[in-house]
Amino acid sequence: MSGAGLGTARLRRAAARTASVAARSIAIFVPVFLVATFVTFALRSLSGLSPAHLQLGESATPESLARIEHEWGLDRPFLTQYLDWFGKVLSGDLGTSWYNGADISRLLTEGAVISLSVAGLALLIGVVFGFGFGILAALRRTTWVDRVITGAMTFISVMPSFVVGIALVAVFAVSLDWLPSAGWVPAERGFGLWLAHITLPAIALSFDTVSDVARQLRAGLVAAYRENYVTGALVRGLGPRRIFFRHVLRNGIGPALTVLGLKFPNLLGGAVVTEAVFGMPGFGQFAAASAQRGDVPAVQGVLVVSIVLVVVFNLLVNLILARLTPASARGV
Amino acid sequence: MSDAALRLTDVRIHDAVGDRDIVHGVSFELTPGKVVGIVGESGSGKTLTCRAVLGILPRHFSVTGGTIELAGRDTSGLTQREWTGLRGTTVGAVFQDPASYLNPSIRIGAQLAEVVRVKKGLTRREARRRALDLLSSVRLREPDLVYRQYPHELSGGMLQRVLIAAAIAADPQLLIADEATTALDVTVQAEILDLLTELRERTGMALIVVSHDLAVVAQLCDEVLVMRDGIVVEQGPTARVLYDPRHDYTRLLIAEHEQYGLDRFRDAAEPALSKELDHVG
Repeated sequence: MSGAGLGTARLRRAAARTASVAARSIAIFVPVFLVATFVTFALRSLSGLSPAHLQLGESATPESLARIEHEWGLDRPFLTQYLDWFGKVLSGDLGTSWYNGADISRLLTEGAVISLSVAGLALLIGVVFGFGFGILAALRRTTWVDRVITGAMTFISVMPSFVVGIALVAVFAVSLDWLPSAGWVPAERGFGLWLAHITLPAIALSFDTVSDVARQLRAGLVAAYRENYVTGALVRGLGPRRIFFRHVLRNGIGPALTVLGLKFPNLLGGAVVTEAVFGMPGFGQFAAASAQRGDVPAVQGVLVVSIVLVVVFNLLVNLILARLTPASARGV
Repeated sequence: MSDAALRLTDVRIHDAVGDRDIVHGVSFELTPGKVVGIVGESGSGKTLTCRAVLGILPRHFSVTGGTIELAGRDTSGLTQREWTGLRGTTVGAVFQDPASYLNPSIRIGAQLAEVVRVKKGLTRREARRRALDLLSSVRLREPDLVYRQYPHELSGGMLQRVLIAAAIAADPQLLIADEATTALDVTVQAEILDLLTELRERTGMALIVVSHDLAVVAQLCDEVLVMRDGIVVEQGPTARVLYDPRHDYTRLLIAEHEQYGLDRFRDAAEPALSKELDHVG
């Protein structure tokens, strides 16, 4: 009976904790989203660009200019335009392209599938190899294994992804002919084919993440191993594996996870260059092309999607951290 | 042949980096229910001696001479796995700065339950009950509350009680208290010393009390070792060492203490001391 009482009390506490964490996350997300989208929208007025330039070119007369701006609703007051745009953004409508009148949400979704495939695989590679090398180096700290890993991580961290990409293509696509050198195939046309096309760009993109995660994790774990609670666990007679997973990893993982959160925007941003090298019509290519054309609604759409992805990803990292090391959430 | 919980015979500890002996021949024997005190200033080798008994000497340090027998078993040839088996069940330890010896990310209860689950093979439910029992056995007032608190939510005295509970969770025959009361204020220190005495009487475990404070040792111990620069300069029954010190260094320690009222401890019987401390505090 009292056991059941304890059980429900524990459940209620857990629910309250989850609710407070969720509330705090929303409290962070909403203002960031509001400010960032406002700045994004203000870009058009700041840039002075107009769809009329795009459509009419040099031959525009003031009358036709005004007519086109009126068609796009750009002669309305700024705040009206903003509220109209923001309302549509909330419902998932990012407007139409100045360049070809296409639905930006649809274009972005097509591009985002490609970029997120590459960035997601790069993230996976970064996590698997970053954690693998970091843990190995920490467990073999100060031995030659540690030195080799640390040296290799420093080396790959300074290699730009476009150089790595070109080198990978030269070796694995041209010389060995194992993987396609460029292009994109949707997953619906075969998982293997899809994976083959995103593997090289993902590897090129992941180097930075692998090295940063590995180095942060190594440092975090080595520091955690020096802590007294490891000695404490040792004298209580706990085995080395249990000490590693329950006591060292849990407390030493913080910096690596934080870096992973910071790396995610880099993976999206890095996609611009990697997609160019590998000829993939992704999010980054779309962003670059739209910016060069002065297609403001498209650039705004790219920014809105990036803001949401980056903020959500960092919130996720923070939630995991708060769960793993509750003491770190104090005073936040 | 031996019913000793611990027997040290001429133990020497060597530092490979400085290439010199840090501890030069420590010998003592500890039978169940007895208490040995080791006194000396920092750097005298008392903590290294304890770490050797626990098998957790720092890197580059090793036992190069003599033998350490834990519950009749020579520890010199033990593998890591055998050490892991002995720690907790045969020998436990508590240290100074108790907060740092607990994992900051795991609740108190879970850390205690972990020990009994690993060392005694209890189920989750049994481990929880045992952990609550342990918390009340170290006289924490609200075991249910402490069970679900994190280390940073407790005071130093409470944490030292928790650490003691974790150390005795698997019923060791020997408990090492290395400066366990040093960072605590005087009344809390007296309570912890009382607790150690009570646990020793109840469970019959042997106790090593390491301190730079003669008062602590005087209060608890049957036998005292006075160490300086890795050498045991004086060793004998507590009363004899305190009343009739033979080495200059021991006399110096006692003289220094007399200014702070050590005679109170020299004259009084052991358990009555903490009450007197309470009056003072």
